[in-house]
Amino acid sequence: MGSMKRYALFIVVLLVAVGVLYACESRLDAPRPDKKKTIALIVRMKHGDYWRTVKLGAEMAAREYDLNLNFYAPDYEEDSQSQMELVQQATLDGYDALVVAPSEDRVLEEAMKLSGERVPILTLDTEGQAEKVKSYIGTDNYDMGKKAAEKMIQLIGKKGQIALLGTSRSTANVMSREVGVRDVLQQDRQVELVPVDYVQLDKKLVGELTRELIHHNPGVQGMIALDANTAIGAAEEIEKMGMQSEVKIVAIDSPPEVLEYLQEGVISATIIQKPFSMGYLGIKYALDASEGKQVPGRVDTGTKVIDRENMFWSENQKLLFPFVK
Amino acid sequence: MKKLLFGVVDAIKAKSIQFIITTSFTLVTVLVVLFVGVMLYSKFSETAEQNAFLNTQQILEQVKYNLDSYLNGTTQIFELVDDKIRRSQSITSEKLNEQLEAIVETRKDIVSIAVFSRKGELLMGTPSKPMRKNSKLTEQSWFQSAIDDPNNLSFSLPHIQNLFKGEYTWVVSMSRGITIKGDRGDIPAVLLVDVNFKEIDELCQRVGLGKRGYAYIIDLVGNIVYHPQQQLIYVGLKNENRSLPLKYSYGSYVDEAEGDKRLITIKTVDQLGWKIIGVSYMDEIATTKSEISRFIIWLLIFVIVMVLFVLSYISAKISKPIKMLERSMERVEQGDFTVNEPIRGSQEVEQLSLRFHLMMAKVRELMSQIIQEQEAKRKSELEVLQAQIHPHFLYNTLNSVVRMVGIGKNEDVITTITSLSKLFRISLSRGKNMITVQEELEHVRHYLIIQKMRYKQKFEYEIEAEDAVLACKTVKLLLQPIVENAIYHGIEHMADPGEIHISASLSEGKVLLQVRDNGLGMLPVVREQVLTGSYKSEGGSGVGIHNVHERIRLTFGDEYGLEIESELEVGTVVKVWIPCLQGYGQEG
Repeated sequence: MGSMKRYALFIVVLLVAVGVLYACESRLDAPRPDKKKTIALIVRMKHGDYWRTVKLGAEMAAREYDLNLNFYAPDYEEDSQSQMELVQQATLDGYDALVVAPSEDRVLEEAMKLSGERVPILTLDTEGQAEKVKSYIGTDNYDMGKKAAEKMIQLIGKKGQIALLGTSRSTANVMSREVGVRDVLQQDRQVELVPVDYVQLDKKLVGELTRELIHHNPGVQGMIALDANTAIGAAEEIEKMGMQSEVKIVAIDSPPEVLEYLQEGVISATIIQKPFSMGYLGIKYALDASEGKQVPGRVDTGTKVIDRENMFWSENQKLLFPFVK
Repeated sequence: MKKLLFGVVDAIKAKSIQFIITTSFTLVTVLVVLFVGVMLYSKFSETAEQNAFLNTQQILEQVKYNLDSYLNGTTQIFELVDDKIRRSQSITSEKLNEQLEAIVETRKDIVSIAVFSRKGELLMGTPSKPMRKNSKLTEQSWFQSAIDDPNNLSFSLPHIQNLFKGEYTWVVSMSRGITIKGDRGDIPAVLLVDVNFKEIDELCQRVGLGKRGYAYIIDLVGNIVYHPQQQLIYVGLKNENRSLPLKYSYGSYVDEAEGDKRLITIKTVDQLGWKIIGVSYMDEIATTKSEISRFIIWLLIFVIVMVLFVLSYISAKISKPIKMLERSMERVEQGDFTVNEPIRGSQEVEQLSLRFHLMMAKVRELMSQIIQEQEAKRKSELEVLQAQIHPHFLYNTLNSVVRMVGIGKNEDVITTITSLSKLFRISLSRGKNMITVQEELEHVRHYLIIQKMRYKQKFEYEIEAEDAVLACKTVKLLLQPIVENAIYHGIEHMADPGEIHISASLSEGKVLLQVRDNGLGMLPVVREQVLTGSYKSEGGSGVGIHNVHERIRLTFGDEYGLEIESELEVGTVVKVWIPCLQGYGQEG
C-alpha cells in the first residue's frame, strides 16, 4: 500500500509541476497577443490640414506597430483650457505613453501632474518648458526662420528693405522663427528690416497693417510672415493692391490658400514643416519610450523650402497635398 | 522522508519490473507522440504557410481584378468622350458641352474633361472653370506623352491637378492625341480626362494582409503609384526596394532586406503594366507556427504525465504482490515456517503464491515428522540404556547373596531374593513404560532393601507418601538411579551412618518426589554438570541422573524434570517434578 501512496504522491507532484509550468508560460506570453500598448496623442486642433496630417502619420505608425492610438483634439487652436480637459480625459482613458502638442506650458504641467512617475511624456510640434519630457519631436523653428530669411535674401537680390510680419506672438514656435530670421539678417548688412507693429491674428487687421506698411515704406521689397494666417492676410492685400511683382512674400506652412497664392505667384516661397513625420515619429518614439528604450531627446523632423518651381515635383506633391480627396 | 527517498530509489532500481515497464513504455509513448507531434507540426505549419501564401495571392488577385475593371471603365469613358468630340460639329458647340457635362455629372470620379492645343492653350473644358496661372501644363507628363505618341491612350501617375481653379485634387490623367475640326481644317490637339485618384486609393487602402501587411503599386519604371507609406518613403524614414519587384510580373519571394522577413507577392495589371505588390510579414505566419508547436509540446508533456501515471500504477500492481511474496520467503529464510497468508494479485502471482504455500505446508509436515522420528529414536536409546541397569545390578546383588549363603544368613538371603524378584517384576511391569507412583515407591523400597543388605546396614532409609499421589502415573525407574547416586556418591564414603529420606507429595498441582540424603554433598559446578549430562562419574550404573531428567522432559515436557539442591558436608536434595496424571491408561 505504501508504494501505491508514493506513486500517487509522485504523480500529484508531477501534475502540479506541469500545471505551474503551464501557468508561468501562459503568463509570460500573455502580453504578446492581448496587451497592446495604448498611446494618447493630444494635438491643438481638430481641424486643419496640418493637424489632420499629424493624425494621419500617427495612424500609420499605430498600424505598423500594432498599438492603440487615442487621439484627442480641441475644436479651436490656442484653447489651452479645453486641451487641459483633454489631458484629464486621456488620463482617465489610460495610456502607456503620452504625446502632446501643448498650447501652453500649463497643459504640459497638468499632464506631468496626472501621469504616473514612469509614464513617458513626449512633446510634438511645440517643445514646452518641462524637464521630465522624454523627447521633442517637431520642427527646428529657429532653423525654419533662418531658411525663410535666406530665401528672402535670395528673392530680393541680396539687398533692400524687408518686413517681418506676425512677430511678438505668444507662441514659442513663432518666437524661435523670429530669432532665426533676425540672426540671419544681422549678418547681412545690405538687407534692412522695417519695424512693424504687432497685430492680432485677424486677416482684416493683417491686411490693414500690410497696406499701411507699404504706404509708409514704399521701398519694401519683401515680407516674411511667421505663420500661415499672417501670410494669407498679407498675400490677399498685396494681390488686391496688384503689387505681387514688387513685394515678395515668404510664408510658413502649406494650407491650401498659401498653395493657391504660391501657384498664382503672390507668395514666392513657403517653408513647410513635415507634420506627417511628426505624427509618425511621435508615436514611434512614444512606443519606444513606453518600452523603456532610449529615445533621442530631440527629433528634428525637418523643413523644406517650397517655391513655384518645385511645388509640383512628385516628391513634394505628397508633402503639400497629403490627402486624396 | 527517508522512507520516501528509499521508495524512489527502489522504484528506479534499474532491474525492477516496475522500472522496466515504466521506462520502456514511456520511451515508446514519447517516441510515438514525438513522431506524431513532429508530423503534425510540419503538416500544420506547411498548411499555415500555404494558406497565408494563397490568401495573399487571392487578395492581390482581387485587387488586380478590381483595378483592371476600374481602369477598363475609365477607358470606356475616355473612348466615349473621344467619340462624342469627334462626332461633334464644333468643339465649342452647346450640344457637346451638355453631353460632356452629363458624363461628368454621372461619373463623380471624373474631375475634368479638357482639350488643349499642341501649344497648351485650352480649347474646351468641362466643367468650365478658370485656368490657374503657372500650371506648366506643357511640361506635364500626360501632355508630353500625348504629343509623343498621339495614337495611344496614356495613363499618368497620380498627381495634383493644378490646371483649374478650385480644390487641388489628386488625379490620374488619361490623355491621347485627337484631331478636332476647326475653322481652317483639322487641328491636332490633346484630349485630357482627369480621373479622381480617390477610387484607386481607397481600393488599395482596403487591402489588409495580416495585421501589418499592405499592398502597393508601382508603374513600369518603378515610380510609386500608390503606397500607404509614400510620405515616409519620400522623407526617407522608410525604404521600399522597388527594383526587385520590377523584374518580375508574377510570383512571390521572401525578402529580408528590411530586417523583418517579408513575403513579397507580385501581380501585374494587364492594361497599364502597373504592378501590385503585396507585402505580408512572415512573423505573423510564424506566430501561428509557434502556437502550434507550443500546443504540441504541452500535449506531449500531458501525454507523458498520463502515461507515467498509468504505467506506474500498472507496474506497481504487478510488482507489489511479487515483493510481498519475496517478503514471505524472507521470513521463511529467517526460520519462521508459519507463513500462510495468500497473496492477491495477477493470476500468475497468485498461482506462484499458492504453490509456495503448498510447498511450505509440505515442509512443515516433513519437519514435524522428522522431530517425531528423532524423539522416538532417542526414547528407544534411553530404554536400551535403562535396560543396561539390570545386568550390572543383578551381578552385584547375586554376589552379595552368594556371600550371605556362604556365611549362612538364610533370613537375609530370603529377604534379598524376595526383594530382587519384586524389583524385577515392577521393573518389567509387563513391558509398560508408565507405572503408578505407588509402584515406583515400591520399586525403590525393594532396591533400598537389597542395597542395605549389601552395605551391611551402613544407612537408614524412610519412605513417606501422601495418599493423593499414589495413584498418579509416572515414568518408571525414576527414583532408583537417584537413590543409587545417593548411596554411591553420598553415603558410601561417609564415616557416620547415612540417612536416605524419600517422600512423595502434591505441590502446586504437580507431583513432587524428593530424595534427600545427609551425604557428602557436591560442589555447585558438579551439580550443574550432573543435570546437563556432561559430568562423568567413575563407576555407577552409567544411566545417570541426566537420563532421568531427559526422560521426564521428553515424556511430559520442559516444565517438568529434576532440581538439585546440595551443600557440602550437609547433604543433597533431589526434587523430581512430574505431572499429576490420574487416568493415564495409554502406554508410552
